[in-house]
Amino acid sequence: MPEPTPGSSSDLPADRPAGRQNESPASNSGEAAGRQLTGKGPGIVLVALYALFALAATGRATVQIIADFQKAPVSYLLSALAAVIYLVATVALARGDRTSARVARVAISIELAGVLVVGLVSYLKPADFPDKTVWSHFGSGYGYVPLVLPVLGLLWLRRTQAAR
Amino acid sequence: MLSWLSAVVIVVCVLFGLLAAVYAVRDRILDDRLLLVLGVLEVLLLVQAVVGVVLGARANRDFEAPVFYAYLLTVPFIAPFAGFLAIKDKSRWAMGVVVGSAFVVGIFIGRLNQIWTPHA
Repeated sequence: MPEPTPGSSSDLPADRPAGRQNESPASNSGEAAGRQLTGKGPGIVLVALYALFALAATGRATVQIIADFQKAPVSYLLSALAAVIYLVATVALARGDRTSARVARVAISIELAGVLVVGLVSYLKPADFPDKTVWSHFGSGYGYVPLVLPVLGLLWLRRTQAAR
Repeated sequence: MLSWLSAVVIVVCVLFGLLAAVYAVRDRILDDRLLLVLGVLEVLLLVQAVVGVVLGARANRDFEAPVFYAYLLTVPFIAPFAGFLAIKDKSRWAMGVVVGSAFVVGIFIGRLNQIWTPHA
């Protein structure tokens, strides 16, 4: 399901004058220094994007595994892994307490490593990936949002956790 | 997909998105009116899911069935989840997420019809 994400990512910031999400923590820190939860304010956009990717990756993995698992088992298992990680990150970011923030940081770090490794390998050895995953080619099929999302997530976690 | 049903779904989806955009601009929180439109959209999406499954089962031609069902059955979850977030967090950001959800639902409907219509 390639299309939904680029659309949503370009759409969400558009209705907010503050603009892009990676600027939001900075613009927000002045007024809300102190107790900002990961799932509040600008963080809600992050939660929504993670939820959308959890949905997209789950859908993709389910379809791939049901339809023809033998065609590219490694790709399909990676899709499933991505789905689980997105799901964990969504819930952890939405909860936003101290433990959840730690869980979110671990999950998002794995996600960043995954998108980097899978992205690199899919370019260097395309034969290993006969079918696509959310992460192949650094998420180009999803408007590179899979690459940007973990970076935003880690920055946002750092911002909210540093404020405590 | 039935073309008139898709048309109705898209009209209501656009209405929902525009109304949410007005709310976001005016910095208003989710109220009964917006919730009602969300409810109407949701009922239509559920009707569409039932109709889609029935039509898909009856179809005796080739179409990407697994992908079709994946879109058909996941699209009803998007807007209610955004609405849930907007109830939980009463910020303009959350209303922006509601606007985004209408957009994503619209794209999903478009993809559904693309998959359903042969050689589109």
